[in-house]
Amino acid sequence: MSDMRTEYAKTLIEIGRENPNVVVLGADTTDSLKTSGFGKEFPNRFFNVGIAEGNLVSVSAGLAGSGKVPFASTYAIFLPGRAVDQIRNGIAYPSPPGKKGLNVKLVVSHGGLSVGPDGGSHQQIEDIAIMRAIPNFRVFIPADTVSVSKLVQLMSKEYGPFYMRMARSKTPIVHSESQEFQIGRGITLRDGSDCTIAACGITVQMALEAAEILQKEGISCRVLDMFSVKPIDGSLLEKAARETGCIVTSEEHNILGGMGSAVAESVTERYPVPIKRIGAQDMFGESARDNEIPLLLEKHGITSFNMVKQVKEIRSKKP
Amino acid sequence: MGLNYYHIKKNVLRARKLVIKSTSLAGSGHPGGSFSMAEILGCLFYKFLKFDPKNPSWEDRDRLVLSKGHAAPGLFSNMAVAGYFPESEMESLRKFGSKLQGHPDLKCPGVEFCGGSLGTGLSYSIGIALAAKIDTKDHHVYTIIGDGESDEGQIWEAAMTASKYKLDNLTAFLDRNFIQQDSYTEQVMPLDEELTGNNISEMWKDASRWKTGDKWRSFGWNVIEIDGHRIEQIELAITKARATKGVPTIIISRTVKGKSIEHMEDNPQWHGKAPDLDIVPLINLELDSQFMIAPSIIAGDMTNLANEVKRCASGRADYIHLDVMDGKFVPTKTFDHSKIKELRPLTVIPFDSHLMIAEPVKHVRDYAEAGSDIITVHAEVCDDSSFGEIHDYLKQNQVGVGLAINPDTDIPEWSYKFLPTIDQLIVMSVVPGKSGQKYIPETHEKMNKITSILQEQKFTGYIEADGGVNLENIESCFEDGARAFVGGSAIIGKPDVRESIRDFRNQILKARRKTLIKKAHQLGGAELVNKWIGLHVVGEKKDQLAKIAKEEKLI
Repeated sequence: MSDMRTEYAKTLIEIGRENPNVVVLGADTTDSLKTSGFGKEFPNRFFNVGIAEGNLVSVSAGLAGSGKVPFASTYAIFLPGRAVDQIRNGIAYPSPPGKKGLNVKLVVSHGGLSVGPDGGSHQQIEDIAIMRAIPNFRVFIPADTVSVSKLVQLMSKEYGPFYMRMARSKTPIVHSESQEFQIGRGITLRDGSDCTIAACGITVQMALEAAEILQKEGISCRVLDMFSVKPIDGSLLEKAARETGCIVTSEEHNILGGMGSAVAESVTERYPVPIKRIGAQDMFGESARDNEIPLLLEKHGITSFNMVKQVKEIRSKKP
Repeated sequence: MGLNYYHIKKNVLRARKLVIKSTSLAGSGHPGGSFSMAEILGCLFYKFLKFDPKNPSWEDRDRLVLSKGHAAPGLFSNMAVAGYFPESEMESLRKFGSKLQGHPDLKCPGVEFCGGSLGTGLSYSIGIALAAKIDTKDHHVYTIIGDGESDEGQIWEAAMTASKYKLDNLTAFLDRNFIQQDSYTEQVMPLDEELTGNNISEMWKDASRWKTGDKWRSFGWNVIEIDGHRIEQIELAITKARATKGVPTIIISRTVKGKSIEHMEDNPQWHGKAPDLDIVPLINLELDSQFMIAPSIIAGDMTNLANEVKRCASGRADYIHLDVMDGKFVPTKTFDHSKIKELRPLTVIPFDSHLMIAEPVKHVRDYAEAGSDIITVHAEVCDDSSFGEIHDYLKQNQVGVGLAINPDTDIPEWSYKFLPTIDQLIVMSVVPGKSGQKYIPETHEKMNKITSILQEQKFTGYIEADGGVNLENIESCFEDGARAFVGGSAIIGKPDVRESIRDFRNQILKARRKTLIKKAHQLGGAELVNKWIGLHVVGEKKDQLAKIAKEEKLI
């Protein structure tokens, strides 16, 4: 198990050494996000604006407008959830000649229900829907620390606005160090021919476990890491639809507008097959101590067992 | 260096006209807030900002962020005047396919910030200022925020942040026009204190009620409070802001929404409404009829001119007229440049030095260096070559160029080629030499003749009426085309300078209203006259205009 925030902070320092234009901003969560380490190494390129998320976003935009590559970070609930106007009108909309949006990277921690004890007020289950709907933004949901490191590297080199959502809890490593990450390209973690589970974030590991269980029951399940929710990998999904005939999606997000919606939109247009979306069923989360987080997720059906169940049900709906 | 007073004033006028043209053609837009910040933008664009319209993304340019983005027509029109794009392109404002969007947008090269959602531009400016600090660049960031916009909490988040990071490369202007979309700011969300009653000018006048400066001071900013329509005050404020180290500066500029157009001034209706096309010619005529009053201090106590300057300043003169006489060109002697230098520190009000001296070409440098902002020399003692030298020298030093003619002098033909760039023409209505003479009535006839020459030669400056101007003849001076009025014994000679300047203003205002009503009648008969009068909803204006129209038998 390894910690996404630690990996994020470590990678920031690496890219900060390579690129003097990288700057990091926080809003009184820099210890929690561990970005304060960047501030120690590069004190004049690190800005803590206090508990002022709108200001955080707009100051980042101004830095980007002057050629800097800002990484602005706090908890998920306080960025898309609070500062959507500053994100939309301040980062996504302003487009210098020949470019789309300003070069700001919004990287958040504490996405989804697995935030745990802080409760429903702090469990951001709408951010994918919000960020996906804003033109010019690209949206990543990494499954592990390998993804975090590679995606931060990728974002720092690719011009434009990005949103990346990390989980609060430590996560198992699902990708090999040599795994390549490309914008708009999902990753096939396990091949299969009877059905597909498309997952993102902490549910990727669950999907692998589900596939293992299904394998024992003689069902061949494909597992996709759809870390790039926007742009979504339409051709990988189409291939899965053609070859496996049904898709179950899984995410710790409202099923309305999340990764599952993105998959359904794409598949419906390209090669319609039965789809089942796992996630919060349009309801909020609640407090759960760290060891109770699996119970909270279970309440919302976000478990490998529910994936197994849904795969079995949806297979019967194949045409 | 002079203030570049007339240069700024002329460009501000051009920009205001473009705001009217573009919003009226678009059928929507925000002229009120564009006009309240017009002089601020004028001073920035034509005096302080480093920029290159041919290379809008020049790295070392100063940055101008219009946080109150709805005033986009004001920004765009100045960009047009400054040469970023042809003025004709203003006609595309707010139309499909135009780079001139309803709010400032990067689609238009040279625009720094996509405004529209209020409260975010100051934070954006902080980002620019921080980047400049990282890169050790010395360009400056100027940001204009609105008072309605200051309802947004993010303004105060930004206020704290700029202070924390000691951003002395950031200067903000608060366009304090006291009006936001719904109503007066002090009714919607008071920045100073809640307005009881409905007369916003009460708040404007009473400095003891202003709290906004205290707010910003308590956030750690250097605060400068000015009249945001006075070029000389804006220039001094920016100069002070640039010299302040270790803290950001905010220039709280008291302004009038819709400034220059009577029916728009202080009228919340003109926050976000475009003028109808049929009244545009009237608005343009009103813009062309802005006027200034310059008391002439030699009409006062010659033994205490410093006190006369102070009386002018407290009387709110637009500029101060200084009659320099050398005892050669005219028989009398008053003072020379050393006196002007001595008086200069007493006020920032522009000095309008009228040199009634022989061989002005030999002395003009002394008068510029003494701190004159406008220097007028006499045609009788100049020729093509010497005036050319004076003209070029003054332009280079940002001092206004004036030419004066005596009652028995015609505009000399050699001066025609300078007329398009001369800032001020003084048509003497007394024989120069001493104060207190009577206005020569033939001047009116002469003015008629001159006006046609000036039109032919594309003169765009101000005509200054000088000599025996008083409340009785000022109306006809205005009708003759004068837009600057020197008041000697009629102002300085009176015990209360402020009151006599106010009387001058009211009398000229009456003449202007009459001119506009006549124009309305000429263009659209009684119907347009009534429409024009009906627009003047604030205060007593409507009744006063109706009275004039009835007197003139136009309604």
